[in-house]
Amino acid sequence: MDTSSPSAFVNGSLMRRYIGQKVRTVVQVIGSDVGSVVGKSTDDLQIFVKGSPPTTPTTYLEVIGIAESENSIRAEVKTNFGNNFDPLNYNELCKLANGEFKHFFI
Amino acid sequence: MAANLTAGAIAKMLSGEVTDEKAMTPILQVTEIKMIQQARRNQEVSFERYKIALSDGIQSQEGMLSANSNVLVKQGSIQIGSVIKLTRFSCSPVRDRRIVIVNEQEIIAEKWNIIGNPIPLLTPNAQINSVVTNSPQAQAQAVHRQAFGTGFHQQQDIRSELNGVANSSQAQVVQRQAFGAGAGAGSGTGFNQQQATRSVANSSQAQLVQRQPFVSATSPSARPYVSSNAGYESSRQEQTYYTRPPVQPQQPSMYVNRSPVARNQAAAPMTIPVAALNPYQSRWTIKVRVTSKGELKRYSKTNGEGKLFSFDLLDADGGEIRVTCFNEVVDKFFDVVVVGNVYLISKGSVKPAKREYNHLPNDYEIQLETWSAVEQCYEDDVAIPRNLFRFRYISDIENMESNSVVDLVGIVSSISPSGLIMRKNGSEAQKKALQLKDMSGRSVEVTMWGNFCNVEGQRLQSLCDSGTFPVLAVKAGRISEFNGKQVSTIGSSQLYVEPDFPEARVVREWYEREGRNAPCISISRVFSGAGRQEIRKVITQIKDENLGTSEKPDWITVSATISFMKVDNFCYTACPIMNGDRQCSKKVINNGDGTWRCERCDQSVGECDYRYILQLQLQDHTGVTWATAFQEAGEEIMGMPAKELYYLKYEDQDEEKFEDIIRKAAFTKYIFKLKVKEETYGDENRVKATVVKAEKVDYSSDTRSLVEAIHKLSTEDANSLTVNPESSNYRSGALNSGVGTSSVNMQGRGFGLPAANQFSSDSRPRGGMVLCGACGSNGHVFANCPSFMSEPQGEHYVSTQGRNAGRGMPRQHVGSY
Repeated sequence: MDTSSPSAFVNGSLMRRYIGQKVRTVVQVIGSDVGSVVGKSTDDLQIFVKGSPPTTPTTYLEVIGIAESENSIRAEVKTNFGNNFDPLNYNELCKLANGEFKHFFI
Repeated sequence: MAANLTAGAIAKMLSGEVTDEKAMTPILQVTEIKMIQQARRNQEVSFERYKIALSDGIQSQEGMLSANSNVLVKQGSIQIGSVIKLTRFSCSPVRDRRIVIVNEQEIIAEKWNIIGNPIPLLTPNAQINSVVTNSPQAQAQAVHRQAFGTGFHQQQDIRSELNGVANSSQAQVVQRQAFGAGAGAGSGTGFNQQQATRSVANSSQAQLVQRQPFVSATSPSARPYVSSNAGYESSRQEQTYYTRPPVQPQQPSMYVNRSPVARNQAAAPMTIPVAALNPYQSRWTIKVRVTSKGELKRYSKTNGEGKLFSFDLLDADGGEIRVTCFNEVVDKFFDVVVVGNVYLISKGSVKPAKREYNHLPNDYEIQLETWSAVEQCYEDDVAIPRNLFRFRYISDIENMESNSVVDLVGIVSSISPSGLIMRKNGSEAQKKALQLKDMSGRSVEVTMWGNFCNVEGQRLQSLCDSGTFPVLAVKAGRISEFNGKQVSTIGSSQLYVEPDFPEARVVREWYEREGRNAPCISISRVFSGAGRQEIRKVITQIKDENLGTSEKPDWITVSATISFMKVDNFCYTACPIMNGDRQCSKKVINNGDGTWRCERCDQSVGECDYRYILQLQLQDHTGVTWATAFQEAGEEIMGMPAKELYYLKYEDQDEEKFEDIIRKAAFTKYIFKLKVKEETYGDENRVKATVVKAEKVDYSSDTRSLVEAIHKLSTEDANSLTVNPESSNYRSGALNSGVGTSSVNMQGRGFGLPAANQFSSDSRPRGGMVLCGACGSNGHVFANCPSFMSEPQGEHYVSTQGRNAGRGMPRQHVGSY
């Protein structure tokens, strides 16, 4: 497993902590353009994803990339997460992963 | 001392304004005393009661002294002229008069001059018996009455007295006419007397239990007595007799003995409260309303057969008691007792209550015998409520014990059609279930059995189907524990659909206002799916918590993987015969000739059914257990019906495909609903788990419960738990295997260490070791593990550090996805 560049689980509000660092998040695709995707984070904030969306986008998209600002990511890897995804659970994960159980995560 | 009588008290008592000592405790003078002999038919002893007339200086009223006070009269403390203060008394209307029953009095003066000019009420006729009109033996009363002669309202009394008399309308009519406008006591009385006697003679059916209704007397003379049915409600017998020449001589004494029951009731106007009944008091009379009547039940015991029925009573003070009649007594009273009517009951045996059948709040119950008396009071006593409810909130039921009885009122939110259930003894029972919700924000499943399904059940069903949600009041529903708490009807239950009680109205209003949309948590767990109600456990908890060892099986849900499956006997040959809507499914024996025989159905069938009986090994991160899956769960796991699989293996002999299927099924994760129960095999007790349902994992909801568990853990850590030096029974073996099989990752987290967690609400650190889950060494717990302590962990760990030190290791549970 390549742990050279670990990415932290973030939601919309946690992204500001990792500006300039590698993060990963799951957004619900609201709109997509050539070269960018507008998504809603699991805590209902708007996230801009730079990078073209995958050819057949699904409702949810996981984005791994560098956080450029507190609401935009320059995507390196985009993965379709399907249409049935529970944003609440993911949100909880993000909160726990950055709070109580931070030591579990890289 | 000057005795001041409470002027106007008698008028108030007569008018009904004052009915007992709560209104006032008047000081009255005894102006007459008469002893009455009461002899019981079946008993030799006759005993005395004293009838008195009490005056307030202006008017007089009749009364009875309590038997306890007899001695006071005998010794002269109470005599004519005595002034007494009524400290406990009751004024009950009897026919159209009011009799005062003095339970307790204070003697102000033993002897005093007669104050005022009271009208004499009682007759010097010592032969006459009861004054009070409680008994149908009105003949005697009537006769007695006449002697009164004077006294304004007496006449009314007499009149109605006679009316009540003889149980025959003839008398009534006769009297009325005789009275005309109500004067002429002299002639009237003589007339009536004869009427009375005649009518007595005429009423051959002196029914023991029948009584004439009362005419509530208001203003005496205003009554139109000539009109035939004026004010007469109860006379069932049509008034046919209009001519009358009275010719018979007065023979009061002859008729005194006429009606056996009446006799006994004769001079017992004093009713005691139901709460005062006890086995040591043999002579009592209670005035009660029947609140429920049971069905006629037959039973057979070793020494023969019998029948019985019971009914429940309620009196004016709210006392309740059950009455049971056996065998021949049933015949006597079964038709007499009608729910809602008021009766005077006496001469039953008071026995300790049989708690198994009797759920009323009374230590005793009454058993009626052939010499008991049940007399109907035609005058409806409004003091006795129709029903006494002790409504509880559904939320209280959760804390109540099973088998206790409760009254509920709520809205029926849903109802399901009646179903037939097969009982263990083979008999069928009809049942209907509904969900009842009330203002406590909880709902419970109420099950109706038997006849309730047909009557109330149907009505409720049609109401619900049409969209209105009716209010339902349940009296005496039994709480049982079956999937949470449930309420079911028993023999003495009663269901009221859309009742008219104030509580029902309150519930209706609440529903209209908010209840309709308010969320209701069900305390009866519904048997489907991984809902919020299920108890999530891990496999080791089955052993740790001794699940299944109590009387009832435990139903739990585990999220586990099938780690092994016994393929040798994955199915059995089953009986396909349908019993109602359920398949018999008993194992059938091969007859050898191609047919299969079922013992239960006692039939042979040509083609048997194949049903799964899979022995599975289930494993989660904590441990392993064996469980058996039957048909439904088996199909879910294997993905095909048992028959197909059977054929595949045995008929087609396609081993490869068979193995393929087995392999696919293994190591799949499901949410299993297990029924865990300890069973005895010879000497051995084994806890067996049956898979009731196997469901694919719904990651979303599963994760949610995990998140909740995590949160709970953090809050529990924050509120320091009781320091329990016992630490957990930490089975590292189990842990390792658990870690091996189930990939431990919570939504991407690839971490294998256990986190401190508490399950549901019972964390039971046990065992004697303090093992750190992180590094495995002894002496500290996970949270204190030095391998972690390099950086601040976040406030909660720091704060709990001290607390964890002494604490044993809590159950470790890790998200296992």
